[in-house]
Amino acid sequence: MVRDFMALAGSSILHRRVRSWLTVIGVFIGITAVVALISIGLGLERTVSDEVAKVFGVDTFLLAPQRMSDAGRSNGLAQYTLDLEWLRTVDGVATAAAVRQRTAFVEGQAGPDGRVTQGFLPVLGLSPELITSFPSFIGPLELEPGGRLFGEDETLVAVLGRDVATRLHVEVGQTIVIAGDGDKPELTLTVIGIVAPSAEPSQQGFASGVSPSGDTIYVPYDTMDLLWGPANDVLTTLVRTEPGRDVDEVAARVQLELRARGSEVAAVTSSDISSAIGTVTSTVSAFLAGIAGISLLVGGVGVMNTMYTSVLERTKEIGIMKAVGAKNSHILSIFLIESGLMGLVGGIVGTLLGVGVSSLASAVIGRIFDVRVAVVVSPSLIVATLAGAFALGAVAGLWPAWRAAKLPVVDALRYE
Amino acid sequence: MRTTTPLLDLRGITKVYPLGKTSVHALRGVDLTIERGEIVAVMGPSGSGKSTLMHILGALDTPTGGVALLDGQPLHELSEHQLATLRGRKVGFVFQTFNLIPTLSAQRNVELPMIFLGVPKRKRAARARELLIKVGLADRVHHRPNELSGGERQRVAIARALANDPEIILADEPTGNLDSETGATILALLKSLSTADGKTVVLVTHDPDAARIADRIVRMRDGRVIEEMSHGS
Repeated sequence: MVRDFMALAGSSILHRRVRSWLTVIGVFIGITAVVALISIGLGLERTVSDEVAKVFGVDTFLLAPQRMSDAGRSNGLAQYTLDLEWLRTVDGVATAAAVRQRTAFVEGQAGPDGRVTQGFLPVLGLSPELITSFPSFIGPLELEPGGRLFGEDETLVAVLGRDVATRLHVEVGQTIVIAGDGDKPELTLTVIGIVAPSAEPSQQGFASGVSPSGDTIYVPYDTMDLLWGPANDVLTTLVRTEPGRDVDEVAARVQLELRARGSEVAAVTSSDISSAIGTVTSTVSAFLAGIAGISLLVGGVGVMNTMYTSVLERTKEIGIMKAVGAKNSHILSIFLIESGLMGLVGGIVGTLLGVGVSSLASAVIGRIFDVRVAVVVSPSLIVATLAGAFALGAVAGLWPAWRAAKLPVVDALRYE
Repeated sequence: MRTTTPLLDLRGITKVYPLGKTSVHALRGVDLTIERGEIVAVMGPSGSGKSTLMHILGALDTPTGGVALLDGQPLHELSEHQLATLRGRKVGFVFQTFNLIPTLSAQRNVELPMIFLGVPKRKRAARARELLIKVGLADRVHHRPNELSGGERQRVAIARALANDPEIILADEPTGNLDSETGATILALLKSLSTADGKTVVLVTHDPDAARIADRIVRMRDGRVIEEMSHGS
């Protein structure tokens, strides 16, 4: 009987083709907006988590300052103490690399006027493993021709930003002097590379507030040890676990043991970052989808209006159907199916358009931000949308349908 | 085949419609018995209550007072749901304005009462075609009402009225919108329903020609039956 009612509802929809389409348009605009925004949100979430996994790796975790206000401060950044050599011996840790930062007194070469340039400049100490084991983290560090990055076991070398190199009047092969307060009061370092200006500073993928500029001097991590002794100025540490180890377990243990040793650190895994970002993107998506939902509501009111008009127009028809044996429940079903079908058609068209719009938007966002944005078409979203669209239509048609069902037969038959 | 129970039995039927602060007495105590297979014409001027009477006979409306029995069953005891089933099974309506569903073909219009009774698709399609052939519309099966003439539409309505093989056909001014020649054909068709198929036909009409096919004429005025006259068949 439901199929027969669907056929009756369908013939009525087709008979009032223009009005039915206008109603469907009202629904599909809302559905398009909801599907597109949710898909874009899911796509961005996927893209971000993919990027995090790519940069970070699923076997890697980060040691960030426990609280940004804690520990020592340098240039407004939270820093912590760390025994990197000990960290490398922890069970489950395969590789560890860290970044230290200090502001140091640096002396360059004599300029054209014969005066030697000197001043306080930011010095970043990088573990060579950052370059060898975590290249995606550090990003493409493009050097000027003739330069190179430092390797392991090198200490008396430095790589300079273009601005600082110019100001200190040094080129590759020349030396700078950095004053420290450790075992050695000062070290003379050979400049082995200069970072190309185009590569500064956005090309570097440093996390945790490390924002190198053309003024930054990069030295090996061990050189920092020579200048200032054990690290109490670490900005960030990357740890890769041994293959097959549970990264969350190792991260938790490292965090616990480091805290016991006085390091105020928090271990952050890629899943922590993804879920934190996911929470934000989900909230934003839900908020946008909520706004889009308002247009869906307007579409629902459109369905209600159409159905109300339809009931009025077809009062006599309702009377005829009742006269030939239709029960109230039959009339209710026919009208509910009719409004539900309009919702469903709106849902199908809206979903297709929504997927199209989200694909287009992903492409545009990808082009603007130069990233590959994933297009996520979730089957559960589609099923939920179609069911929701049918329900929206049916609910919107409920009151008109109920009115239709309750019409007294004789009054309905007399209606002109 | 006659049994002791009349098909329709009205006893002291009154019907009052509220109209603002006043009320309209459409029926003022009607007693009427209709036997199986009879053709009864109900005649009277406008406002005499004949249409109201037809609505009560066809279980479309309930009386304010009195008892209406259809096949011995008191209609006032039935729920809306049961009344709908009763209409579907036992009563077929033919209206002056045909009252076909404009969006459906002739066949689908005839199938409609069977859809509501849950008759399987194949069976009801065959029955609808059979009935359309019976009323002379074999070549109009797939036409919509707006593609049919007035006489053809009324034939479709008669076919629809016969769909569930009801015991009684209630026809309200069936020739009112037709020219006399077409009207005569429709009346002949209605007459044959009684003579050939044993249906009970109640004809509400102004038309003396229409009344001529009746076995009995019931005249009404001001909500009362003022005269009952047998024609003999």
